[in-house]
Amino acid sequence: MSSKQSILNALKSVAVAPQAMPSINVSPRLDDVIGQFETNLGTVAGTLHREGGLAALQAKVDELLKEGKQVISQVEGVTGNRNAPDTAHELRDIDFAVIPGDLAVAENGAIWVNNQHLGHRVTPFICENLFLVVSADKVVANMHQAIKQISLESGEFGVFIAGPSKTADIEQALVVGAHGACSLNVYLV
Amino acid sequence: MSSQTTAINSGVHAKKADIFCQDEARVDWHSKALWMLREKRDRAAASLPEWEQLRQLGSEMKLHTLTHLGEYLETFEKNCQANGIVVHWAKDGAEHNQIVHSILAKHQVKKLVKSKSMLTEECHLNPYLESKGIGVIDTDLGERIIQLAKQPPSHIVVPAIHLKKEEVGDLFHDKLGTKAGASDPLYLTRAARAHLREQFLSADAAMTGVNMAIADKGAVVVCTNEGNADMGANLPKLQLHSMGIDKIVPDLDSAAVLLRTLARNATGQPVTTYSSFYRGPQTGGEMHVIIVDNGRTDMLQDKILAESLKCIRCGGCLNTCPVYRRSGGFSYNYTIPGPIGIAVGAQADDTHSIPWACTLCGSCSYVCPTKVPLDKIIHHHRRLKAKAGKLPYGKRNYMPLVGNFMASETMLNCSMSVARTALRILPGSLLKPFSGAWGKYRELPVAPKSSFEAWFNKNRGQ
Repeated sequence: MSSKQSILNALKSVAVAPQAMPSINVSPRLDDVIGQFETNLGTVAGTLHREGGLAALQAKVDELLKEGKQVISQVEGVTGNRNAPDTAHELRDIDFAVIPGDLAVAENGAIWVNNQHLGHRVTPFICENLFLVVSADKVVANMHQAIKQISLESGEFGVFIAGPSKTADIEQALVVGAHGACSLNVYLV
Repeated sequence: MSSQTTAINSGVHAKKADIFCQDEARVDWHSKALWMLREKRDRAAASLPEWEQLRQLGSEMKLHTLTHLGEYLETFEKNCQANGIVVHWAKDGAEHNQIVHSILAKHQVKKLVKSKSMLTEECHLNPYLESKGIGVIDTDLGERIIQLAKQPPSHIVVPAIHLKKEEVGDLFHDKLGTKAGASDPLYLTRAARAHLREQFLSADAAMTGVNMAIADKGAVVVCTNEGNADMGANLPKLQLHSMGIDKIVPDLDSAAVLLRTLARNATGQPVTTYSSFYRGPQTGGEMHVIIVDNGRTDMLQDKILAESLKCIRCGGCLNTCPVYRRSGGFSYNYTIPGPIGIAVGAQADDTHSIPWACTLCGSCSYVCPTKVPLDKIIHHHRRLKAKAGKLPYGKRNYMPLVGNFMASETMLNCSMSVARTALRILPGSLLKPFSGAWGKYRELPVAPKSSFEAWFNKNRGQ
């Protein structure tokens, strides 16, 4: 008998009586969702830019380009100095990546990023610093609402990103910048 | 978990805890570090008015899934295949390791980057692959530290919690060439970042654990703070994910419930930095999921043990456990220490001492985000050990006597009266030896004036 079959056979006799699936109905906190998002993004070590939109972001990018930084942009209306390369490994020297987020979650500061806008999947992780762009009317209250709006199509990859990468594995000291981006700035448009 | 999983460094829990307790300052430091996590967890939980509702939902949802596991696993497999994911089934750790090796061998993989997975620890995958000539690099910082130190993890979320920053500094100086004597966590983390980037960029394949497997989508969710799972899985063309059969959830809505409690209960963060959903390989790549039993179906045959499979491995029960905090992760004879480690590892413990590494205080059950009744399960393990005639040496002899003694009212009353008098008139030095291990770190109690029964009859009796 295959292992699959032997596992499925063993599962025919679970000692616990069948339980019904509960209905998931949690009240969202709807007051000042953008304010909540800003606070929680701060908690996870990210920064929100509420004013200025794409123009403010382009101004920041222009500054970085003058300093000679390598900037790749996947956001229409923001121009960097690098194009999506043929292989993911060529992104190893990217200083800043500008990426569109589909929606943001107020309760935890997370932003949903979908690989349809990433070029290579590794882009938001391999860059030294990350800029995310999110539409102000796409900030939802909690994860229950967020997940309802996610279309994860076959073959796709998507990720909730809440802040820059971090670790506290050495004596519980929080260090921002582990393997992924070392900073996260979110621009509201 | 089962006899298929060998106990690590077996030895009676109390003896191994004694080794940890030799350095009292370190014990205090260890206990405090974990208590800090517990406090952060409390603040995060209290910030959500719906916290108890989420725990209840998590519990019911996991029980529902566990009681329909066969259907959900088949749905998951079918949907994965439709998404271009190759699904494998392994009945035990050995088969899991063989499957992983056969995939890696087919692709001539020389270097595998791995993201933290307690399941691969449970299956002892690393030494197996290394024996086949494949280099395995653990990429979570804590995991990498203990891999370089050649130690097993001592905690499921913060695996190197037992090491001081000076020790990590010495280790990195030796293995990664950092400055001698350097112990600044920021400096050491940056050094590890640079070292591990080279590993990610030169790996032939990546492997991660799975936090949730979504049945109706055929997708897996992987949560990390460091981004190591994603740096791994998205660079090489070959990605592998190992999951226990208990990781299945029905749909995205149920994953959202667990995503809200997992990090809050683990470290007090509102959510992990990265919660990644993989629903197929990258263009031109290959994605494999290995579904592993390794004793889990056995546990489902026992009504009480079955509930331990509701666990989502947040580590909250370890952080709150007064025994774990003062005995360290290596005293448990199992890859997973603490209350959940007893729940899923006691059967494999050949010293039969692990179910007693617990005061039954219930703090673990109280903090659990899916309401695993850990203290009840641990108590049940004591019964199972007794039934199997496997009580530890001392307990086997005196527990039946204690049972008879407590069952006889006359004997109990009479001897308690003698004990009260003795405590009042005899010197402590004479009595203390009779209290055994209990008295080692405690003073003898002050004897009450009368028995509780006499007090009750006088004050509350009818």
